[in-house]
Parts: sequence; C-alpha cells; structure tokens
Amino acid sequence: MNQKRFIDVVRNNGIILVILLLIIVTGIIERNFLTFNNLLNVLRQVAVVGIVACGMTYCIIGGAFDLSVGSVVSLAGVITILNINAGVNEYIAVLYGLMAGVGVGVINGVLISLIDGRSGEAFIVTYGMQVVVASIALFPSNGLFIAGRVSEGFFKSLGQGVMPIIIFLGIAAIMEFSLKKTKYGRVMCFIGGNMDVAKMSGINIKLNRISYFAISGLLAGLGGVVLCSRVTSSNPTAGLNYEMDVIAAVVVGGTEMSGGSGSVMRTVIGAVIMGVMSNALNILGITAYHQQVVKGIIILIAVAMDILNKQLKLKEMAHDKVFA
Amino acid sequence: MNDYVLEMNGITKVFPGVVALDDVTLKVKRGVIHALIGENGAGKSTLMKVLNGVYTQTSGSLILEGKELELHGVRDAQEKGISTIFQEFNLINSLSVAENIFLGRYLGKGHIDWKKINANAKKLIESLGFNFDVTKPVGRLSTAEKQLVEIAKALSYQAKIIVMDEPTSSLTKNEIEIFFPIIKKLKEDGITIIYISHKLDEIFQICDMVSVLRDGKLVGESFVKDTSREKIIEMMVGRAMDAEYPPRTVKPGETVLSVKNLSRGSTLNNISFDLRQGEILGIAGLVGAGRTELAEAIFGADPLDKGSIEIYGKPVSIRSTREGKMNSIGMVTEDRKETGLVLDTTVTKNITITKLDAVKKGPIIRKGMEAKVANEYVEKLNIRTPSIYQTLLNLSGGNQQKVVLAKWLFSDVEIMIFDEPTRGIDIGAKYEIYCLMNTLTEQGKSIIMISSELPEVLSMSDRLLVMHKGEIKGELTGQDMTGDKVMELVIE
Repeated sequence: MNQKRFIDVVRNNGIILVILLLIIVTGIIERNFLTFNNLLNVLRQVAVVGIVACGMTYCIIGGAFDLSVGSVVSLAGVITILNINAGVNEYIAVLYGLMAGVGVGVINGVLISLIDGRSGEAFIVTYGMQVVVASIALFPSNGLFIAGRVSEGFFKSLGQGVMPIIIFLGIAAIMEFSLKKTKYGRVMCFIGGNMDVAKMSGINIKLNRISYFAISGLLAGLGGVVLCSRVTSSNPTAGLNYEMDVIAAVVVGGTEMSGGSGSVMRTVIGAVIMGVMSNALNILGITAYHQQVVKGIIILIAVAMDILNKQLKLKEMAHDKVFA
Repeated sequence: MNDYVLEMNGITKVFPGVVALDDVTLKVKRGVIHALIGENGAGKSTLMKVLNGVYTQTSGSLILEGKELELHGVRDAQEKGISTIFQEFNLINSLSVAENIFLGRYLGKGHIDWKKINANAKKLIESLGFNFDVTKPVGRLSTAEKQLVEIAKALSYQAKIIVMDEPTSSLTKNEIEIFFPIIKKLKEDGITIIYISHKLDEIFQICDMVSVLRDGKLVGESFVKDTSREKIIEMMVGRAMDAEYPPRTVKPGETVLSVKNLSRGSTLNNISFDLRQGEILGIAGLVGAGRTELAEAIFGADPLDKGSIEIYGKPVSIRSTREGKMNSIGMVTEDRKETGLVLDTTVTKNITITKLDAVKKGPIIRKGMEAKVANEYVEKLNIRTPSIYQTLLNLSGGNQQKVVLAKWLFSDVEIMIFDEPTRGIDIGAKYEIYCLMNTLTEQGKSIIMISSELPEVLSMSDRLLVMHKGEIKGELTGQDMTGDKVMELVIE
C-alpha cells in the first residue's frame, strides 16, 4: 500500500520531482542560488506569467483555450501608459488597461460560445484575436517603445518590491477557492468535463463560458499593467509569445489539457518551477538558446506524463469495472 | 469424438478481491446460435474476454475442436478462429471497407496488392448476399452495413466461432430483419455463433441454445425450444418475477403542461398535446420520428420556432435548458454517456449538479450537505456503488442510469421527460426504474416517457402519443394501446 502511494506521488508529480532535482543540484553547485533573495527575485520574475496563467487555467478547465493573452498583455500596457502620459488619473488609466483585457476576453467568449466551439475552435478564434490585438497594440506608437512619465504613486507601486508577488498569490488563492469550493467552480468543471452534459443539466453554458474568457482577458490585462509598471514603460511587443509560457506553466503544473479538472495552485507551482528552472540554467551558465531547448523538453515531458497517466488511469478503471 | 466445437471447462477468473467467474463450464455445439445471457455484472463479458484472448483464466481450460487452446490477445484468437464483434465496432471510419477487413494483412509480396484486397473483400461481402462498393470509407456506411463489414472481417479469418455482443442494440427494426437471415446463413455454413443479448425476444426468434450466467456462475442451460421467457428471467434474476412491469395506480389530475402548435425547423411540425398531473404520457414512434427533438424543444435545449408552451395554464418562454429547469422541467437524456453524466466524476458531483444552491451555505459548497444528498439517493434508488465518491466509469449501466434519475429527482422538478430511460440496462434495474416512475407519479410529478421498446411504453403509459416524421399521428388510450395500433399509425 505504501509502495503504491509512493508510485502515485511520483506519477502525479513526476515533472515537479525532476525539476526539484535540478534545483538541488544547482543549489549544491552554486551557493547563491538557494538564497532567500534569489528566490524572491524568481517569484517577482514569474509573477506576470503567473497572473496570466491563473486565467488560462480557468479557460483550460472550462474546456477551452486562450491564445490571445500575449497580445492582451501588450495592449493593456500600451493603453495604460498612453493614458497616464496623457494626464489621466492613474487609477482610471489602469482601469482602462484592465477593461481592454476584459473586452478582448468577452469578444473571444461570445464568438466561441456563439458557434458552440470546443477547444479546437477556441484555438482558432483566440489565435485570430491574438493577431488582431497584437497589431492594434502597435498602432498608437507605430510599434515604438513608450516611456511612462510617472515616477511614483499607485501605478508605479504595482510593479515594485513584493507587490507583483502579492497580487499573483492573492489572485491565485481567490481563484483556487472559487474553483474548489463554489458553485461557479463546480459548474466550470462540468462544462469542461462534458459540455453537453452541462447543457442538459440546465446550466447556462454560454454565460459561464464567456466569463472564463473575460477572466482570462482581465488577468492578461492585469499582467500587462504590472509588467509595464515594473519597467515604467510600454513595449507594444512585450507580450510576444507570452501565451506559450503561460500554457507551459499550466501544463507543467499538471492541469490536464482536456479540461474538466485542474487546480490554480498547481499552476502557481508550474509557473514558479519554470522560473526557478530558467534561473538555475542562468546560474549554471547555459545560454538562452540552449535554455529554450530545455524548456521545450520539459513541456513535452509534462504533456507525455499527462497522457500516460490518463491511459494508466483508464486501464485501472477498466480493471476496476469488473468489481462493480 | 463429441460434436462440441468449443468447450470452456471449469473457467475461473479471479481479480484481486473478487471472483468474476466461478467454475463456469460452457460447451458449444458446432453450427448453432448459442445465446449467452445474464444481467450486467453476471460475468458475460469476462467470460467472453477469456474466450477472445483479452484475459487469461485463473484456472480451467479452453478446448477448440478437441485441441487445448492457449490465447495471446485478440489477434491471436482471431487467427485461431474465434472472432468477436463488439457492440461498439472495431472499425476505422476513415479507411475503406476492404482496408478494414484486411487491416494489417496487406496481401501481396513487398507491396500492397489493392486489387487482390478489394476483390477478396468484394467476394466476402457477396458471400453474405450483399453488394456494395468496398472502396467506400466505412464512416459513410449505416450501422447495419458496418456490422456486415465486421462479419466479413471475421470470415476473412476463417472464423469457426463468432462472438456477437449485443449485435442488434443499434439496429433499426428493418435492419434487424435483414440481419437475422445473415446470421442464419452463417449458421448453415457451419459457423458457430455465441450471441450475447439483453433482448429475450430475439433469443426465442433465432437462437438454438441458451446459457444463463448469474454472479459469475453458470445457473442454467437449455435448448431454447424447451424453455420459456419466464424461466429465463427467473434464472437471470435469481427469483421469480411476478411481472415485467408494475401496475399503474395513479389517476391523472389536472393539466400541468400544455404544448400548442409547436414547430421547429423541419423536424417538428405543429405538435399539440397536454400532460396531466401524475400521468405517464408515452411517446412511441420509429427512430428519427422527432421524439427526442420534441423533448429537447420543450426542455429548451433546442428551442421551438413556433408555438407555445403553458405550464399550469400560464404561458412560459423556454429558450434554454436553464429556463427549462426554472420552469420545473427536467430531462433524463437518451445517451447517458454523451449527455447525461460526466463519467470521470464522482456519483456525488453528478447528482448535485442540478441544484447546487441546495448544498451550499453562503457561496461555499458544503461537502457534508452534498454527502447527505448523495447518500439519500444512493439508498433511495438502490444505486450499487462502493462509495458516493466513486467515479461513475466504474459503475454498471443500470447504476449509472439511476444516477441520471437521481440528479433530476434531486432537482425536484415537477415535469420529467424520460428519453429511453431503460436503454441498455438489465431486467432487474428496469423493473426498479418502472417502480420509481410509479412512485414519482404518486407524489404528483408528471412524466413524459419516450421509448423505442413498445412493450415498455404500452405497459407503463396512461396514454400514448404516436409520432411519425415530426408529427403526432394519433393518441391511443385504454384498450387501443396495442402494438398493432401503433404500427398502423406509423405505417399510415
């Protein structure tokens, strides 16, 4: 029984264990790695990806996908900085940035639920949206970098010190709670688990699905605001390829791509792991190009484990069925 | 020499913690159609999996044509002359008929000899008395034609024994009439068929022998001509059944639901009817008559284009399933796997989904309250599950169906639509569901029951609507509720 439990732990957390090993090895080689300051630094670095990944987790559990988040990160930053530079109250400017994200999310959600789309359609629709939003983000400054004319205050505080970490973990905690403990979360698991069943159980699928995309958009917007606050400037391509890092965090955390189950807390772990890993590779002196290879392999392993795990589970269930 | 083509001697199969088969001896004569029946969980599928090489028996022996047999997987069994046709066919939809038949056996040396494959496939299909294009992808065939392909595949392996698992479950009445002569012909050609079915009528129609399994043991074996329906049911259930259907006792009251001139697209045309309190209103008709579509229009899954719905005399607008539920309508769907249950989730979560508000305090869903609800329904409906946190995949069909019922009982709706409520479940569970319908109507709920099993709707309904091509062709009551009258209305 104990042996079985051990195997279960390894199976469910395999990728995490592999990376833990990497951390320990790096820690032994390089003393500076496992210091409080360095780990805080890593957390700060992953906060933006993490915030966006929390929204993506909802989308994926709800049986969809959101590829538009990278562009939204860029757009929200551009809008916020432009407004601040134009003298708009900084709270309002931030609100505009967030609203841009919600807007894109709602459009995604409405389009996808109108065509009764599954994750395949969501992939295409949000990819289209990504392309459109990416180019909209380029318009105002002709693709140029905009420096923010602000040195302190609310907006500036969002990206400083431990604030990004607090925002990230706070949001994750609220979202995990909603997912596991409330009606909203339960319904999400049903919609992602089997949309037709959810529909035939008298659930308003459309509204719920739109909300997942809206939340994903909102958090991508927030990620964008935090990001440009940290550097006090906006770069219209800041969010380029962000969606991939975000999805990687979700997958490495262990939320299944097929929807219906998962956890925001695991996504937090996934995001932190990806951050720690790239930090460790940096410290070990591995170049950026090589790092991409390692990152890609880790994602592949995570997906492979996910699939293997599922097949094993099905096999066990088929076996268990004889007992029933 | 004996005349048995197959002997399964003293087969025992033990899984950790359970004996699935207990010393089962099954002897099958050459060239007969041998029925194997039993309730879900009786051990039929385990026995067949021993026979087709999926499982290896814990003890006992298999003897094929006098020779001891050792099987290593389905393919090995096929090559040794034992083919199985599963309920869900083992065909690849995108490949052609011929490719499916010869899958993995590319006749020809060093290249694929398409000419030979297609010619051989055509010959096999023709030997069954049919003629269709073998280069057509299987996905474009009807269910009946797919079955032919499966049979042809079995023949291509020179099958001595073909195991058929619920072969008619997805065939229409017409298709069944075409299917039976085919298996009779196989029998004449000396092929032995092991026929697994829940439908007793079919067994009396075409089988020669019948063996009954219960709780992993062989409890009876007989020539079909020497036995009776009652005797077989008694053997399956383990006790004498007074009747297959409990008597109806409720007197319908006032009108609760009134559908007027409902139309939707090309599938439903000008449908009007009333449902009264405590009534079971049956809807009969052929597959494709528009029965499910009607139910979905009323429930809001696929809202109506024209017409109106009144509940307790008040006109209501139902544009979504949520509004359907708010107007106290629930629907037990036809396909529990696709639309009824999230199978990889627990019994509890599947039951409470229809009324989560009743198991939460503030915004939080309370585990204790959920467990109380789940336990209540598991007990009330006699759902056999090791735990309320069991994943539904591990439950038998009948118990899964009871979970679908439980979820709508819990939602406490007044009007329930049951679409094929007893499909694919065994006799014992069916009887329990009929009794439950009676209890519900006694409590004042009203039921619309859609069923393709005529005896079932005829026996359980207070009134029967007959649908055909999206219209209501007639209403039958009392003495007029007979199979003949229904068929008259359907045939026009």
